[in-house]
Amino acid sequence: MLLELIQGTEGGGLIIIQDSINYSGRHLLMSFINAALKRDEVVHLLAFELHEEDLKHELDHSCFQRLTFHNAFQDPLGWNEQPPFTVHQFITKELDSLLTPTHLSKPVTLVIDSFSWILRHLSPPSVCKTLQRLKKGGAVKTTLGLLHSDMHHRNMVGSICHLATSVVTLVPGHQCHEAVAKTIRRAKSGTISQAEERFSFNEDMSVKVQSQPIQVGAPQTDAGDAEVDPTANLTFNLRLSHQERKAKEKLALPFVFSKEKKSALLHSGPGSGRILYEPDANDDYDQEDPDDDLDI
Amino acid sequence: MAAPMKSVGSSFNATSFQKKTRSKLISIPGTRPSVQNGQLIVSTGVTSLDYLIGGGLAVGTVLLIEEDRYNSYSHMVLKYFMAEGVLCGHELFLASAQDHPDDILQELPAPILDDIASHSPLEGRMQLGGQHASQDAMKIAWRYQNLPKVQTALASSSRFGHYYDISKKMEPEIRQAANCYAFYLPEHPTESSATRSPLIESYSALLQSIQEVIRKGGFDGAAPPSKSRNVLRIGLQSLGSTLWGDDLCCRDNPAHGHALTTFLYGLRALLRSSLSMAVLTIPSHLIQNRAVMGNIIRLCDNAIALESFKGSDRETNPLYKDYHGLLHVRQVPRLNCLLTELPDHKDLAFKLKRKQFTIERLHLPPDLSETVSRVSRGELAGAAAVGTTCGTSSNKHLDF
Repeated sequence: MLLELIQGTEGGGLIIIQDSINYSGRHLLMSFINAALKRDEVVHLLAFELHEEDLKHELDHSCFQRLTFHNAFQDPLGWNEQPPFTVHQFITKELDSLLTPTHLSKPVTLVIDSFSWILRHLSPPSVCKTLQRLKKGGAVKTTLGLLHSDMHHRNMVGSICHLATSVVTLVPGHQCHEAVAKTIRRAKSGTISQAEERFSFNEDMSVKVQSQPIQVGAPQTDAGDAEVDPTANLTFNLRLSHQERKAKEKLALPFVFSKEKKSALLHSGPGSGRILYEPDANDDYDQEDPDDDLDI
Repeated sequence: MAAPMKSVGSSFNATSFQKKTRSKLISIPGTRPSVQNGQLIVSTGVTSLDYLIGGGLAVGTVLLIEEDRYNSYSHMVLKYFMAEGVLCGHELFLASAQDHPDDILQELPAPILDDIASHSPLEGRMQLGGQHASQDAMKIAWRYQNLPKVQTALASSSRFGHYYDISKKMEPEIRQAANCYAFYLPEHPTESSATRSPLIESYSALLQSIQEVIRKGGFDGAAPPSKSRNVLRIGLQSLGSTLWGDDLCCRDNPAHGHALTTFLYGLRALLRSSLSMAVLTIPSHLIQNRAVMGNIIRLCDNAIALESFKGSDRETNPLYKDYHGLLHVRQVPRLNCLLTELPDHKDLAFKLKRKQFTIERLHLPPDLSETVSRVSRGELAGAAAVGTTCGTSSNKHLDF
């Protein structure tokens, strides 16, 4: 499932990569960026923790040219004049103005190098509101963020992951060059699927998944009683050919009456729960109540 | 002789017997008095849940659903509640900060209606009647031609509680017949109030919106009695999450610690004085403060918690393989009485099947392993053994 996420076949949304001090998720983030650039998408990177020079070593040269880099490392809080990008610009209005002057035909991916500065200096409700707008809105197809889970309060991490479409949690693997990624994805229909995979990196920053993922996810509804055609795979024939159908229609049914008899029977029918009774000559039908003369 | 009676109301009664209705009790379609304490109750849409909370949700009360981790099953229960309202002809109020209420309404599950003489193309009986599926041409069952069709979806609400098929969506015609008020927070203009109220703007805007709907719709009894009474079903999705502007889920000491509890207090006051009830979902797994959570539960009349196995290690546990999650009943209401009817069994588990959301008592599956000690044939004598079945391999007992 990790490879599908990287290839972007799932249709975007908010992807959160959760890492910790034991294993840094930056390599994985770079491989996501690489894959997106190779797919000829427009990628915007808000780099709070990485200098531009360091970034050049991580990515291919050709890809780096096409990346739109926003330098938030230099002056994130805006202490000097003319800061290139500050933390306080992470609101919907500013982001929209940042992202619109690109080609509208290509899908836009917004990559946030780390949420740490944002969560530290902005209030959580506004951050969540912005993320929700990004997830829903049309300008950005995919939002990808790196979240250091041990730097923030557990509830904060939980709230951000609650909004996410997919969450990739990284832990170091047994071998030194491997790591384990646990991916949880929430599909549009509400189905949750998850997988745990061991992966490592190739020379060109692409991800190689080592083992078979442990697919634990199950569809939400009982797939067993979905529409299964019972007439398939039978040893006898349940279908009718054209001739057989014509013959069946021609068959005279036992209680088929003529039209007059049918209508006669039918039109006396409706609404009659009535019992119409005419007393016979032998019936002793007395209108009076026989108990009337009892004196109680 | 039985005199023919002119039946009031629908003219298609098959019999001429009429139940004598007492005009003292208000009769609103989709509601009925509870057998326990006479309160007017409605169905929540899930019949097993109705049984747990005492027959149904009483009019004027709040049902709190603590969400499961990925908000899949609690969202489903909220949709069941709304769908039940559509079928019974009640009015709906849906508020959400995450998804637009219209999107939620489009995902309502389709009801399972058992019509005998309906002419819907899904009924197989029509195929037997021939290719010309016109009204008068029932070939075999022609005696039933003139019988009245069983009523459409809205009128079949004489039954209390319906079943839904979640693989199908509700037809737009049925859905649009219901009147729904929507509150979508991002589109709602919130003016920042300068008052010192403990409520935050989103909650106060929501409360004001609910109050206005109740007043305009006449649910609080202010309308003239000639107009037929109806109830209002209020659904609030993911209250308390950060998208409502509340940092209850993010911090241990939130800045507006009493915003949600004040809102619930105001909501309950509004509901008690009107013909409405509310179902709200709260992401309680994000709220770490047990005291606040306890307060929230006390302020709601009914409270249940859903805990799904997905994503946890319980999913592979063989004990839980038949179920999708556990259900905990946190609170049952005491309305106008001293004691309540508590459910007998506290271990409940739920399973979402395609046509039903079942809530059952969690029982251990029979232990079929080899190491279970077998009782000897002499002692067996029909007493319930510890889960041994005769299908397992035990060669020693096979002497005929």
